[in-house]
Amino acid sequence: MSVTAWSELLFSGLITGAIYALVALGLNLQYGLMRILNIAHGEFLMLGAYLTWFAAVQLGWSPLLMVPLAFVGLTALGLAIHWLCFRRLTATSPNLDVFEARGLMVAFGLMFLIQNLVSWIWGGDLRGYDFLTEPVKVAGGQFAGNKLLIFALSLLFCGAMIALMRMTLLGKGVRALMQSPLGAQLVGINVRRLHPLMFGIGLGLSGIAGALLSMAYTISPSVGEPYTITALIVITLGGFGSMGGALAGGLMLGIVEALGMHFTNPSLKALLSYCVFIAVLLLRPRGLFARA
Amino acid sequence: MNDRQLLVRDLLVLLALTGWALALPGIASDFVIAMALTCLMYVALSTSWTLFCGATRYLSLATSAFFGIGAYTTAVALEHLPWVATIALGSGIAALTAVVMGLAVLHLRGTYFAVLTFGMAELIRHAISYFEKSVSGTVGRVLTVVPELQTIYLTVLVLAVGTVGLSIWLRRTRFGLALVGIGADEQRAQTLGVDTRRVKVIGFALTAAVAGAVGAAMAVRWTYIDPHTAFNPFIGFQTVLIALIGGVATLWGPLLAAIVFSVLAETLRLQAPQVYMMTLGLLLILCVLYLPGGLASLRWSTFQGWRRDMAGWWKARRHEWSGDKEREKQRARRQRVLGA
Repeated sequence: MSVTAWSELLFSGLITGAIYALVALGLNLQYGLMRILNIAHGEFLMLGAYLTWFAAVQLGWSPLLMVPLAFVGLTALGLAIHWLCFRRLTATSPNLDVFEARGLMVAFGLMFLIQNLVSWIWGGDLRGYDFLTEPVKVAGGQFAGNKLLIFALSLLFCGAMIALMRMTLLGKGVRALMQSPLGAQLVGINVRRLHPLMFGIGLGLSGIAGALLSMAYTISPSVGEPYTITALIVITLGGFGSMGGALAGGLMLGIVEALGMHFTNPSLKALLSYCVFIAVLLLRPRGLFARA
Repeated sequence: MNDRQLLVRDLLVLLALTGWALALPGIASDFVIAMALTCLMYVALSTSWTLFCGATRYLSLATSAFFGIGAYTTAVALEHLPWVATIALGSGIAALTAVVMGLAVLHLRGTYFAVLTFGMAELIRHAISYFEKSVSGTVGRVLTVVPELQTIYLTVLVLAVGTVGLSIWLRRTRFGLALVGIGADEQRAQTLGVDTRRVKVIGFALTAAVAGAVGAAMAVRWTYIDPHTAFNPFIGFQTVLIALIGGVATLWGPLLAAIVFSVLAETLRLQAPQVYMMTLGLLLILCVLYLPGGLASLRWSTFQGWRRDMAGWWKARRHEWSGDKEREKQRARRQRVLGA
């Protein structure tokens, strides 16, 4: 294989990997901070994608405009869901284990609710639109413009999220809560404000991912589920609660998938990611990058 | 009621229900029998699920895998084996898979276990569909000789009654107590001399055996079987939902919920499948939030509790909206200033 083909293959892996990372960051935020394993996370991605598609096709808005709008809309939705469901769940659960199990069930309920709501409103057909489809030449290889844009924006938002966590007081508060919930509350970090906000931001990130996804791929109501699974795989790869780990894990999984699909068989893609997932969970349950 | 009276009550209820179910094919139409069949299937599945997962609080999402293994066994073996042997074979293969899976993952708890079982179920599904596509060269299999509806109905009835009976019996044995002990505190159970690993693997295999047998028996209802219908994750989800909504720690809760759900499913799903699924999701959320013990924990006092909660909430809102809350705050602030 020539250098160009190699770089194109690796780059296509990185593009999907960047979206995986973006989705996984949101899920990781929710699980690492609040122990909510949001199995409905991919459905919010699908919702963001449908909103973008709707705005682009029916209203004629630019998909780029929908990126911040999807973020704001889904953050608001996340705040509402947290206020309606998880606030009560936190108050009534006797301990964290019970909360985790119940939270998982609530998320399953949300998954059914959202997936079927979307397919009820917009039907189960494949949807898509054209946006920046001309190929662009970069470093000897040819790439579709929309995919390059997706890659750049995904990395940008991942970077912004990681910077938010590392550099601001808000991020410091969140990291403190992850390290020791009790200690953080003792020094005056307000859980009641941070938990809903972070849940909302997590959904907002998946909304962005959905908006970006709809620019290059066709969407259907069942598009979210594989992304939930992939996000789970990515956060187990990177370690629960680790932001940098999620970014590295996402990019890595993207490349592994691209290489695996090229050298074996496209229908093996799902099989491959599940194998990676189970192997990591069984052998290194604390993540690839965790220090023993 | 003491222990003995409870046993007698449970057995009598089971006997009465069995009688009704036996009489049903004689008096009802084919549609009702089909509905009852779905109902019995979910009774067996969710009761067997609570047998292990309810007692030990290990949330397994692998039911669809065991069900699918059973169904696939039927698809492959029914031509060469008699009906009962096929079901036994499906059940056995599912149990064997569960033993292997259990040895690998049962040391993990909580969310890890749930996610891993789900991942393994999906892995099995994808592996089989890949195998079919590339090695056997088919997408699915057609069942040519199928037993009559009566036979299927009786088989599933026997399985359901057997599972409930097993559940009644198991609650009174050392093994059942060990399972509950693991759910309450695994380390304590270990300290008290329970071989937790063995107990967990056997319990998991029991669940899988029932799911496999039900899958093997129900497979003949579809004349065409491909991995995506046999390993439909929705069957696993719905089993878990029924068990949770019914009440995982109870005997009759899953049965009650299974009946409610099959009626709901058969009536709503054909007209408006999405509305059915949305109702399912909403019910699940409401149930987890407001009725964590499940339907079987519903008592008159539960309603009173809800009414008290509502009244308290409404009182707090009135207190806030009338401005009393703000005034009280100001008064307290003024007193603090005066006192200082």
